[in-house]
Amino acid sequence: MSSPAAQLQSDTLGSRLASRGDLTSFFMQLAAEIGADSYMLVAIVHDQDRNDARIVSSNWIFDAIELIGKRLIANLAQGPLTAAPGIRPTALVAAQAPDAGGLLTGEEAHLLDVLGHAEIYSLRLNIGRRRLFALFSAAEAGKIDQPALMKAQLKCCYALSNIPQLIAAAAMQDPLSDRERECLLWVSEGKTTDEVALILGVSSNTVNSYITHAIQKFAASNRAMAIATAIRSGII
Amino acid sequence: MKHAHVKEAAEALFNEQRNPFGAFSLGSETHHAVTIPDAVRRCRWIAVDINASAFGLFFVSPSPELARLVPCFDSDYPGTAAATRVISGANGEEMVRHTRTSTAPRWWADDGTPGSEQIFQNLAWSERMAPLAPGTNGIGFPVHADRGHCGVVVFLGMEIALPEDALYEIHARCFSLFAAVARIRPSDAGRTRSISKRELECLKLTANGNTSEEIARLLKLSVHTANQYLTQSTQKLNAVNRNQAVAKALRLGLIE
Repeated sequence: MSSPAAQLQSDTLGSRLASRGDLTSFFMQLAAEIGADSYMLVAIVHDQDRNDARIVSSNWIFDAIELIGKRLIANLAQGPLTAAPGIRPTALVAAQAPDAGGLLTGEEAHLLDVLGHAEIYSLRLNIGRRRLFALFSAAEAGKIDQPALMKAQLKCCYALSNIPQLIAAAAMQDPLSDRERECLLWVSEGKTTDEVALILGVSSNTVNSYITHAIQKFAASNRAMAIATAIRSGII
Repeated sequence: MKHAHVKEAAEALFNEQRNPFGAFSLGSETHHAVTIPDAVRRCRWIAVDINASAFGLFFVSPSPELARLVPCFDSDYPGTAAATRVISGANGEEMVRHTRTSTAPRWWADDGTPGSEQIFQNLAWSERMAPLAPGTNGIGFPVHADRGHCGVVVFLGMEIALPEDALYEIHARCFSLFAAVARIRPSDAGRTRSISKRELECLKLTANGNTSEEIARLLKLSVHTANQYLTQSTQKLNAVNRNQAVAKALRLGLIE
């Protein structure tokens, strides 16, 4: 479907990502190449028992995001139709959604349809251990080219692999300093404060202060929760 | 080994079962039970399609301390190829570190002939690395599956032919192959079964920042019982304390 010249363009854009703006132009180009009207790059954040979507980049209109809500976006992103790389993706067709899987209520499905998301594909992106989700949608069902979509999925994985810091910062997933991350890593391996102090060659008071800072930054209540938060967001 | 010959034989055997976009229609297939010999066969098809003479599938250990590639199978299955022993040694460290942070393929050319690098140099997205096995040419595809499984599919060969537009399809097929293998990996299945639902529940609440007293109240247990569940799960996960138990359970995908 897409011409060779257009393919070259998203490849070139994707290999030279340096800023949030580059990310936007890469995704706009990619969406155009596969026949999609909108895209959204989402990180899922675990907050206690529920999931929240953190939107890294998107060209959805503001009203759509406000009306649909972050919770529903999180559910769409990691719903049962979400495809891992190498698996043929299945579209969520808003018009059929209420009876298919019960992911959306009739009202929400209608809203999506009206807002130009008649069909939505959710793709899982693996960037090393980190996981992100890309939603590609079109105003008419059947407009998105499936084989091109599957290639685009790997292109996204490759392109985002080049900019781990940018992604982490955009998803606000890594507030830790190198030293804090290192301490937390050793604690997650079962080391005690004294052992970590010995490994890093600093005093145990220093280790405790690093870990306390990490706990505060995650708004966690104890070490176990700080470790869990860090692992869930792929920091350690 | 004569590649053309192998390719012909494989095509004659499998033509009915595979189409040019074989992996792209795997949507339902990957949910079927797969055996290791099945996986080896699927991997061989990929190898034949890119003219590779050898292949291997490796797991990346979830523990950050162990930077080694753990072999699952290779082209000498049920035996073990000499290259696999080298790759699973210290040579694999760079690949392990790369796979944990990136999904881009890595290639190397070390057969001493000047032309061999050219095959790979034109590939978009992929970069050169130190040879995984000395004296060979090859390419490694990082792959990830559910429950935090992470691995690399490696292809070796002097005459690998990988056109740029085939890169995505080959990598996608590696992904779906790995997803199938990760599902049947026996070591994890045994470990998962032995930890009870109640123990996992306690671990999950610990990960969410609850103390033993809070867990006891939430699950309507005595504090002593809650502690006992946590101690048992720590032992079963082969961890030294609760912090490590929580970390291991998350990395293995036992809790979310």
